[in-house]
Amino acid sequence: MAMLSKVSRAKPDSTLQKRQSAPILVLAALATLSFVLLPVLYLVQRALQGEWATTKIIIFRSKTLEVLITTVSLVLLVAAIAAVIGISLAWSLYNVKLAAPNLLRALVVLPMAIPSYVFTYCWLSLGVLPEGFIGAVAVLTLSTTPYVTLAAMAALHRIDSSQIDVAQTLGLNQFQTLRRVTLPQMRNAIASGVLLVSLYVLSDFGAVSLLGVDTFTRAIHNTYQGSFDRSTAAILSLMLVAVSAVVISMEVTTRKRLRIVKSSVAIARQRQRLDSVKSQTIATTIFGVYILTSLAIPISVLGYRFISRSEPIEATRLLQASVSTILVSSIGALLALLLALPIAILSIRSSLLGRLAERGVLVVSALPGIVIGLSLVAFGSDIPWAYQTLGLLAFAYSILFVARSVGTIRNALARVPESLPEIAATLGQTRSRIFYRVTLPLAAPGVIAGTLLVFLSAMKELPATLMLRPTGFETLATEIWNNTAIFRFSEAAPYALLLVAIAAVPTFLLSRPDKDAERGEHR
Amino acid sequence: MPRKLIALWAALALAASLTSCSSDANDQGEDQSLVIYSGRTQEYIASLFDDFTKETGIKLEVRYGDSAALAAQILEEGENSPADLFISQDAGALGAVADAGLLDLLSPEILNRVEPRYRATNGDWVSLTGRVRIFAYAPDRVSELPATVDDLLAPSWRGRLGIAPTNASFQAFVTAMIQLRGEAETELWLRGIVANDPKLYEKNSLIVEAIDAGEIDGGLVNHYYIFEVSEELNREINVKNHFFQSGDVGNLVNVSGVGIMKQSEKKDLASNLITYLLSPSSQQRFVAEVNEYSIVDPTLKPVGLVALDQVGAPEVNLAQLSDMQRTQNLLIKVGLL
Repeated sequence: MAMLSKVSRAKPDSTLQKRQSAPILVLAALATLSFVLLPVLYLVQRALQGEWATTKIIIFRSKTLEVLITTVSLVLLVAAIAAVIGISLAWSLYNVKLAAPNLLRALVVLPMAIPSYVFTYCWLSLGVLPEGFIGAVAVLTLSTTPYVTLAAMAALHRIDSSQIDVAQTLGLNQFQTLRRVTLPQMRNAIASGVLLVSLYVLSDFGAVSLLGVDTFTRAIHNTYQGSFDRSTAAILSLMLVAVSAVVISMEVTTRKRLRIVKSSVAIARQRQRLDSVKSQTIATTIFGVYILTSLAIPISVLGYRFISRSEPIEATRLLQASVSTILVSSIGALLALLLALPIAILSIRSSLLGRLAERGVLVVSALPGIVIGLSLVAFGSDIPWAYQTLGLLAFAYSILFVARSVGTIRNALARVPESLPEIAATLGQTRSRIFYRVTLPLAAPGVIAGTLLVFLSAMKELPATLMLRPTGFETLATEIWNNTAIFRFSEAAPYALLLVAIAAVPTFLLSRPDKDAERGEHR
Repeated sequence: MPRKLIALWAALALAASLTSCSSDANDQGEDQSLVIYSGRTQEYIASLFDDFTKETGIKLEVRYGDSAALAAQILEEGENSPADLFISQDAGALGAVADAGLLDLLSPEILNRVEPRYRATNGDWVSLTGRVRIFAYAPDRVSELPATVDDLLAPSWRGRLGIAPTNASFQAFVTAMIQLRGEAETELWLRGIVANDPKLYEKNSLIVEAIDAGEIDGGLVNHYYIFEVSEELNREINVKNHFFQSGDVGNLVNVSGVGIMKQSEKKDLASNLITYLLSPSSQQRFVAEVNEYSIVDPTLKPVGLVALDQVGAPEVNLAQLSDMQRTQNLLIKVGLL
């Protein structure tokens, strides 16, 4: 197997590698890093304002240890189960003959469109959710599996089918092929999917608050809104940052050096899918159960609440909230793209700054929205013309979610085959022209996917939005909150349904296979 | 220049122009407007604000949010806060902002509308409405109602009680108990409750729903939740309110209140609004629409409940309810948080 991968390995794009990085790139990456680390700066400031004696007590008391253990166990369990389910779903899609595979592919990714607080509430209202920790594991696993599914699907798509053929010719059965050929090549993608899941769980507040699970985010919230003790909250937040740094470095060490895997002898033929009754039944069951629990049931609950409403629909308000949501989320996504590109480029070049910057942005994404919100309030309120403006809110989104796109964009840029930019170079094009005219268009699907991910996350965001939006500016998420805060869950249903419907669009786009990559690989 | 670069710059320019799409309060000027941070939700106050604007022509830019979250935000904004007024649903959040020195002294006319115990001792905030802690229970399953909160420590209540330790009102109640009985006694009571196997909920409404559903038989919540839950579920519920004996800490009256921000440049306009909110018509609407108690007029009361002066509230300094840190540490110590 090792020989096979050597044969199929091609050199990554060398115009992106081993050159002195242009100063503007370095500056841009530094700028991004400093923006994204603003919350950490805020936290350090606040933490230092407390007394050392109190700080010591907080860090070392048993309650904090409990919170740490709860958080870490939650992350580990959710990541592990989501990985298993995600890989199973993706593998089945590719290797088992199923009815309506395109529809299934879209449906298993669609749960990403449902915010975790809505998801949790829907399940809670049915009364069948186990309480506390187990309930949180269930809910968070169902919500975050799509991150792994997407990554696994992309990875499976890139695996050379000729390797599978050779493996089977050599006598390996399905499981052995999976274990020795497929999974090792999926490792990087799965690792980044699992990383996204872990960071999501670390930063989640909606599910754990409704279920009463004592994670760091809940402890931080209770401190901010209970005792208003910002230095204690800052210390807890910094501990969360430390945990996320550990998680991130684990992913980074797991990551092998990025290689482009494609065969020089491409056989473009229909892949044989398993069509035995047993495999089809098993696969269909897995899909059925997952789609039922993560999509059908929550949406039905929302639908039921919607129908049983007594008040008429406020159409203008719904429309306004939708437009606002789309507007500010898309600007946030574009800003995130601007922030992510320099880091992604530098990261491919294996520059120290690139690596640091990438981890830096990841670290911040584990912080709950209330921390990002308050940090931007602290800095933003010093700049009256920018404070509580649409621009600042979009900027907050870009900081919050740039981590979700950096990995995808980096991988997309790295997969551009070396030959094309090199040809352009021999034709006398400048490096920046090569980047814009050759590399970026080829990497476009992945870059767009990363940006869509940010767009999707921004649409669902709540705590930072509540704090930073212009007064009177409502997004779908804030309207949901307006109603649930006064227990009008039925009133919240139209907004929730509309949010899911709109979020389904980028989610659907994300689920589609990477057609351009397919073409590129068979060149 | 490459097309994509132009597109990105265009996006940036758009974003930059959107910094002008900020709250109207940023254009200071001669137009009469106020910025309000309101912990009181839109549903329960927006119509009063609209009527105020109609009567006086003063525009109101209202930022709705959770009282504690808004207080945390105001504390971060400090003197740069764009808010002119802060309306809080509980005294704790208001007190936290007051303790940071961010509220201005109110005029004597406003302060004298309420009794001294319903306003800040140094006069920087005043109460609007009252919310009473009560004991909610299922009338068909509870034969012996508790006279004091200590009765809930009895073995007969094992596993039948619901509380919401993360909730601000519950924490206010514990803070009041610390004020009245001291920390050691309060810790004893809390440990007694924990030993009696209570069910913990995130929200007061969930407690009332649980009583109705038969999961628990009683809970410590605020008085208006039985009305709220009944409205949301669109039917009668099997839950009633019960007051503890007179003076018991279980009858704590918590208040929603308002203060004027020190850095506000429109203090006169802000005072007008406060006067309006304390007026008889506004107070009547609070009682009728939200089922709260009026602080200004003790005769106004929600349907089916006794008047405020007959509730038998404990003598507690509301301003000190902002000292939640001790309460939180205590709750953590006994394992409720």
